[in-house]
Amino acid sequence: MPQIFRPSADIWLRAAVVMVFFLVLGGGLFATGLARSSYATGQGWPIEQTVPFSHKHHAGDLGIDCRYCHVDVERGPVAGIPPTYTCMTCHSQVWTGAPMLAPVRDSLASGQPLVWTRVAKLPGYVYFDHQIHIDRGVPCVECHGRMDQMPLAYRAHALEMRFCLSCHRDPAPHLKPPDMVTRMDWAGWDLVAAHRAYGAAAMKRFHIEPAKLTDCGLCHR
Amino acid sequence: MPMTPPHIARSRLSDRDLRRAAAEFPTAFEGLSQTDRRDLLKVMGASLALAGLAGCHQDPHPEARPYVRVPDGIVLGQSRAYATAVTFGGYAQPVLATTHEGRPTKLEGLPDHPASQGATDAFTQAALLGLYDPGRSKGPARLGQPTDWAQIDAAMVANAARLDAVKGAGFRLLSGAITSPTLGRLIDAMLQRWPQARWHAFEPVNDDLRLEAARQAFGRPLLVRPQLEAAEAVISFDDDLLGPGPFQTSQARGWAARRAAYQRGQGGSELLTAEPAPSLTGAVSQHRLIASVAGVDRLVLALAAALGVGGVAAPALAATQAAWLAEAAAALRRAGGASYVGVGAFHDPAIQALALRINDRLGAIGRTTVLSQPLIKATPGNSGSLAALVADAHAGLVDSLAIFDANPVYAAPADLEVAGALQKVRLRFHAGLHADETAALCHWHAPVEHDLETWGDALAVDGRPSLIQPLVRPFYAVRARSVLLQNLQGDLAADPRRLLAATWTDKLGDLDSPAWRAAQERGFLDEPVTAVTAASAAGPAPATSASNALTVLVRPDPAVWDGALANNPWLQELPRPFTSLTWDNVVAVAPALARRLGLKNGDVVQLAAGARMLEGPVWIMPGQDPSTLVVTLGFGRTAPGLGQAVGFDVAPLRTVGASWRVDGATLTPTGRSLPLATTQDVTTLGDFDFVRTAPRTSVAPKPPTPPPPSFYPPKPESRPQWGMSIDLDVCIGCNACVVACQAENNVPVVGKTQVAKGRHMHWLRVDHYEAGEPDDPAFFNQPVPCMHCEQAPCEMGCPVNAAVHSDDGLNLQVYNRCIGTRTCSSYCPYKVRRFNWFDFTGGDPPELRAARNPDVTVRSRGVMEKCNYCLQRIVAGKIAAQVAGRDIADGEVRTACQQACPTDAIVFGDISDGASQVVARKAQGRNYALLEEANTRPRTTYLARLAPDAGDGDG
Repeated sequence: MPQIFRPSADIWLRAAVVMVFFLVLGGGLFATGLARSSYATGQGWPIEQTVPFSHKHHAGDLGIDCRYCHVDVERGPVAGIPPTYTCMTCHSQVWTGAPMLAPVRDSLASGQPLVWTRVAKLPGYVYFDHQIHIDRGVPCVECHGRMDQMPLAYRAHALEMRFCLSCHRDPAPHLKPPDMVTRMDWAGWDLVAAHRAYGAAAMKRFHIEPAKLTDCGLCHR
Repeated sequence: MPMTPPHIARSRLSDRDLRRAAAEFPTAFEGLSQTDRRDLLKVMGASLALAGLAGCHQDPHPEARPYVRVPDGIVLGQSRAYATAVTFGGYAQPVLATTHEGRPTKLEGLPDHPASQGATDAFTQAALLGLYDPGRSKGPARLGQPTDWAQIDAAMVANAARLDAVKGAGFRLLSGAITSPTLGRLIDAMLQRWPQARWHAFEPVNDDLRLEAARQAFGRPLLVRPQLEAAEAVISFDDDLLGPGPFQTSQARGWAARRAAYQRGQGGSELLTAEPAPSLTGAVSQHRLIASVAGVDRLVLALAAALGVGGVAAPALAATQAAWLAEAAAALRRAGGASYVGVGAFHDPAIQALALRINDRLGAIGRTTVLSQPLIKATPGNSGSLAALVADAHAGLVDSLAIFDANPVYAAPADLEVAGALQKVRLRFHAGLHADETAALCHWHAPVEHDLETWGDALAVDGRPSLIQPLVRPFYAVRARSVLLQNLQGDLAADPRRLLAATWTDKLGDLDSPAWRAAQERGFLDEPVTAVTAASAAGPAPATSASNALTVLVRPDPAVWDGALANNPWLQELPRPFTSLTWDNVVAVAPALARRLGLKNGDVVQLAAGARMLEGPVWIMPGQDPSTLVVTLGFGRTAPGLGQAVGFDVAPLRTVGASWRVDGATLTPTGRSLPLATTQDVTTLGDFDFVRTAPRTSVAPKPPTPPPPSFYPPKPESRPQWGMSIDLDVCIGCNACVVACQAENNVPVVGKTQVAKGRHMHWLRVDHYEAGEPDDPAFFNQPVPCMHCEQAPCEMGCPVNAAVHSDDGLNLQVYNRCIGTRTCSSYCPYKVRRFNWFDFTGGDPPELRAARNPDVTVRSRGVMEKCNYCLQRIVAGKIAAQVAGRDIADGEVRTACQQACPTDAIVFGDISDGASQVVARKAQGRNYALLEEANTRPRTTYLARLAPDAGDGDG
């Protein structure tokens, strides 16, 4: 019976096995990396909108409070995207003819809603309640980042579960006075001696027990 | 002889084993027989490869469409509640309807309404789905083809003009039962405008015999409303006081209030029933006697004679009957005027009248037996029956006909031949929610608004007028009933809100008045129907018939009722009391009869009475009278829709004279059998103690006993700790909790095939047990939600930690972690976990998606789910309390099942709060845990049913 395989076949087989191993390993690493990349989570990727609304201009330069537009943030689970009517409270007076705002005016005239693309959307099985976070003094900037510096809004954080848990496991450093939740710049807050222990005091005042903050049923139901 | 190679012999052997296994577990092997191993591996490989892709389709940046202008009072993401009502059998069922951004998502009882006090029945819970029913008719039709309103308007205007000329001669209106003051006013106006026109009413399940009985007893038709909260002794002669129907919530509330007082030691609560087939009332009776319909009639006579009601001679009774009667008579003598004697609504009016005389004799009229004018509006001179309409049609007296909310072609007894009579009418309009069997025979079909999207009014069962307000603008091209009544008279400008307001102008002023707004906000007017007093006149003693042949009783179905609800999937899949059957009706037979004929469940029989016959599967019903068969209405619909061809229609057996009771029937097995889908295969209790009975003394608290030792790790102590107590002494097994849970928690419907495989999804089930002799058992109901074991076996079984325990004592299921191994379900001793074998919800049409509760995840394929004590309500309550800076008050968080329960059998609360209601309940001596021996330490515990007091029975 003639020999089928050449002596080098053995080498090739071993090489192939090693190659397959590295391919699978590399593929796995690539997939994991991709899933955690900002490309997949949307972190830092500005999103095109029908109307190129600039939070930088409105909240940053003009200093309009978040709650002027996101009125439900203090009293309900969602902050809400403001109705056309809210835009027009100002834009019926200023920039009335701006072509950029034509869709807003059309929306008010026709009664058809503006179509926005959501930026900070959580998966359907996650239930986040703005009201209680605002009430306890978790400032907007904790999750949404420096909205006052974003010409077009983007996700400042990946909003993955580990991000939520990082705060739920240790809320104290993230808590700020509830009447200042919309303040964006907290640099230097802790440098003032009177503020240094605020988080710990707030935890005590609100009876926040981190052990209870990681119950699955708090967010998943 | 060639030898069989050993490996082939082995394979044959395994084939035989497989066949044997397949015979034993047919569902496990279904679909596998045609697939060989190679194909199976291919499919498995492909599904494994594709499984990973399933998670990739979610768009992280979906569209958002905010309001253009936010309506007043809307807080995004928060529900709002409006007081309104839905109608059932003509009566208003007052509800507090929850909406999310304008979508009605849940109906609760109206807490302020005295008739329901916040409770509901299964029908009311399921009414929500009627709004979103994809089978609803979405626009007008002419001869079955879609048309537009202009066409049908033109036809109505032309007809009105013609009728004006002849004063309405030849015009007939046929409606269902109406209590609405507005519709009544409009019909009266129509009859005044067209004096020659006539109005007929047809409601398949109605009070006609009851009213006739009152007429015989009191000389005029009166509505008799039992006030069970005042009745210390109730004798039910086949009268399902606690059973399904418009009066269920109110009467169950009353009975439970009496029962609760009795538990506290205040007064008596005796309930004795004599009935041919088990009813919800019979199941909770202290002494239930099985008697044929004729036997029940004889017992009424005997009771009348025993209590000295004039002119009645005592018939001869068997020993068991005499003993029951003596007990009943003694109970009535003890309770005096605080007693109620009822005879079933479908019994001979003369017998029912005799019961009214007994109540009068006992001094119960005005106390437990309140009389009032009927709430259902009567046709002028009571001349408007369906039979009269059919006769007139045949005589050529009917030229045009408008049918409102009635489906006589399906629901009327077959001998009326409504379809034939309709053909004799020149012009036929039909208005209803569905293009049903009757619509198919009409020239014009006009779709009407559902109660949740219309303006209207109706009377609740206590006569208080409910105002119906729309929660959402109609989805489809539909009109209000009141508007259509005006359209028929040529008035095309009618506005439903103004028509409604015009009825109430005298009392509430115009639409802008504060009184009107207040009434709208409250949902009803506090004007109960005035009770009238009447003395019964002695009447001739009714005759009772005794026949040896079989008697067929026709009853409304406890879920789809008269068939009008047959398109409601929640109700079709609702396990019926006693049988736990879904998606089918059956011929219920007694065990003795089944033994005699060699029948088993599902065997198809032919049921004949003279030339009339039907075929259907039998179900062996323990505790049924051997000479009685029971069939239910509401099945065998022929109109397209969910209910089409589900079950069999009983109309062929019914006649006008014998529509509820068909004597002289014969039963012939056909040799065929049908698969039936039940959710509970075994109902005999045997030696188990799943349900318990305890003496009344056990209501007193008993000191807690320390739990047995356990290997489970200790849990940290914190507050609150949630727990539930279910009182089996007042649970009547009405299923309101089951549908409430389904509506609250987006529980999917799976269909008959899946139910038959044990894959139903109800998070809360009501188990039914029979204890003792199968021919005459004691019945028990037991609602079984998740037990929320403190030491939960399911949590130990889960390989991915998807079954976890929370600090407040909840046993949680984390859907996004679950990989569907089903280990938890196999570890669960209570079998309360439900697995999504398929994507039951992904294919739902958009309108059904709109019905879902947005606060609860919609589960996908391959995920385990179960009761979580309405976690979304707990979280909402917790946030509300925290924001307000206080603790959650007792009773602030109520589960959906608790809120719906008409007897307050379910109580939920914080077991670490010593003052809470649930703690008081769990402290009672009759508190017990299901499968206590498993040491799972369930948070859901039961209160044993109270045994009758020893003194009650001996007379």
